[in-house]
Amino acid sequence: MGDFQQFEQDFYQTRYYTDDQGQAVAYYDIYDSTSPDYNDDGEQAFMPEALDPSTEPQYTGQFYQPAMSPGAVGSTGTDSPEEEPPLLEELGISFDHIWQKTLTVLNPFKPADGSIMNETDVTGPIVFCFTLGVSLMMAGKAHFGYIYGISATACIGMYILLGLMSTVTVSYGCVASVLGYCLLPIVALSAFAVFYSLQGILGTLLALLVICWSSFSASKIFISTHAMEGQQLLVAYPCALLYGIFVLLAVF
Amino acid sequence: MDGSDGSQLFEDTSGAGLGSQTVYRNQQAGPQAAGIPGQSLLSDPMSNLAMAYGSSLASQGREMVDKNLDRFIPISKLKYYFAVDTVYVGKKLGLLVFPYMHENWEVSYQQDTPVAPRFDVNAPDLYIPAMGFITYILVAGLALGTQNRFSPELLGVQASSAFVWLIMEVLAVLLSLYLVTVNTDLTTIDLLAFSGYKYVGMIVGVVAGLLFGKPAYYLSLLWCCAAIFVFMIRTMRLKLLSEAAAEGRLVRGTRNQLRMYLTMSIAAAQPIFMYWLTYHLIR
Repeated sequence: MGDFQQFEQDFYQTRYYTDDQGQAVAYYDIYDSTSPDYNDDGEQAFMPEALDPSTEPQYTGQFYQPAMSPGAVGSTGTDSPEEEPPLLEELGISFDHIWQKTLTVLNPFKPADGSIMNETDVTGPIVFCFTLGVSLMMAGKAHFGYIYGISATACIGMYILLGLMSTVTVSYGCVASVLGYCLLPIVALSAFAVFYSLQGILGTLLALLVICWSSFSASKIFISTHAMEGQQLLVAYPCALLYGIFVLLAVF
Repeated sequence: MDGSDGSQLFEDTSGAGLGSQTVYRNQQAGPQAAGIPGQSLLSDPMSNLAMAYGSSLASQGREMVDKNLDRFIPISKLKYYFAVDTVYVGKKLGLLVFPYMHENWEVSYQQDTPVAPRFDVNAPDLYIPAMGFITYILVAGLALGTQNRFSPELLGVQASSAFVWLIMEVLAVLLSLYLVTVNTDLTTIDLLAFSGYKYVGMIVGVVAGLLFGKPAYYLSLLWCCAAIFVFMIRTMRLKLLSEAAAEGRLVRGTRNQLRMYLTMSIAAAQPIFMYWLTYHLIR
C-alpha cells in the first residue's frame, strides 16, 4: 500500500480531498477512453498535470480509489490518512478558537469578538469543571457532585434568563460553553487556596476580585454574541451569583 | 452528479464519499454505496428512512412542545417583562428604597400597549423580582451559615417556603380583586412582579443585619417596609381606584371605599411578609 500512496501522490499534488478524488476518478473513468484530449484541455482543475495516457496502471489506481474514499469518512482508517481531514477538524475542536476564547476570558477589558462563539464547544468547560474539582479535592474538599449539580442548574437558569432577555435566540450549548470558560479564574483561585487559606480579609478581597473578573468576562461574551446593549451589568449579576457559589465552595 | 452512470466498473461512492457527515447527503448516495462495508449503516435505505422519520418526529415534537408551552406560559408576554436595561434597574431599585420624591407614577402607553420597562420606570418588570428571589435564597443560606445552621436541604426548604408564600399572596390578591369586581388591567404577571419587589427590601435588611448586627437589621427593615408600603400604595392606587379617587379627591361610595381598603391591605401585607420571612435569619 505504500507505493500505491506514493503513486497517487504523484497524481494529485494539490488537493487530497476525497470528493475531488472521487470526482476525479469518476471523470477519469468516463472520459478516459472516449476523449483523451480532454485532459490536455486542462479544464479539470483538480488534475493539474496531464495524466499519463497509460491506462492500465491508472485503471488499477482507479480501482482502488473508491475503496479508499470511505476511509475518509472513517470506516477503516487504515488506508490513506492523508485523505482524511484532520481528526480534530472532524471532531470540531479547533485549538486556535479554544485559545482565543481563553484569552478573551483572561483579559476582561478587551472587547470581545462576537463570532468566536459560533462553534460552541463544551470540552473546554468540562475540562475546567474537572480541574476545579481536582484542585478543591487537593485542598481537602471533595465536592464533585455539588460542582456538577450547581453548574447544570445554573446553566439551565442562565439559558432561560438569556432567552427571555435577548431578542436573538440563545442556544444552550453557547451558554454552557461561556459559563464554563469563565470558570477559569475560579480554578486559579481554588488552586491558590490549596497553598494559602482564603479566610480573612485578604482572602475575601481576592475572592471578590475573582468573582467580578469572571462575571465581567462572561457577561461581556454574552452581550457580544447576543447583541444586547445596555444589559451587561444585568447579565453580570446572575453570573456573579453563580461564581459566588463556587467561590464559597472554594473558601469554606 | 454522477450517479447514474452505466459504464462504471466500480461502485461510485463519490456521493457518499464527499466526507458528508449528514444524513441527507448520504440518502442520495445510499443505494449506490451499499457495497462499501464502512458505509453500510448510513447507506442502508431503511435506516436512512428511519433516520429521516426520526428527525422529522423530533422536529414535530419540538413544535408541539413550543405550541403548548406558549399556551401555558406566554413566552412573548414574559419577554416584555424582561426587556430591561441597567439604567431602568438602577432607577427602579432606587424607587423601591426611596419612593418619596417620585412625582409621576403613571405607566405610559403606546397605542394601547404598555411601553417596555426599558423606556418607562413605572412599568413592572420580572427581572428584579427573579433576581431578588434568588439573591434572597443565597443570602438566607449565608445567614444560616454564619449561625452554623446551614445545610443544603435547609436552602431548599427556604426557597420552597418563600415561593409558596409568594404564590399564596398572588392568589389572595387575585381573589380579592375578583370579589371586589375591580375593573383593572392588572395581569397575573403584574401582580407577581409587584409582590416580588419586596425581596429587595428583605435582602437589604438581612445584609445590614449580617454586617452590623440586630439593631441595623431592625432599622433597615423598618425603612424598607415603609418604603415598600408607600411604593405599593402609589402604584396600585393608579391601577385599582377610579381616576377621580386616584387623584386624591374624596369620592363617596362604598365601591371606592372598598377599593381603597383593598389597596391599603395589599400594601400592608408587604411589610408583614418581609418581617415574617426574615426574622428567623437574624438571631
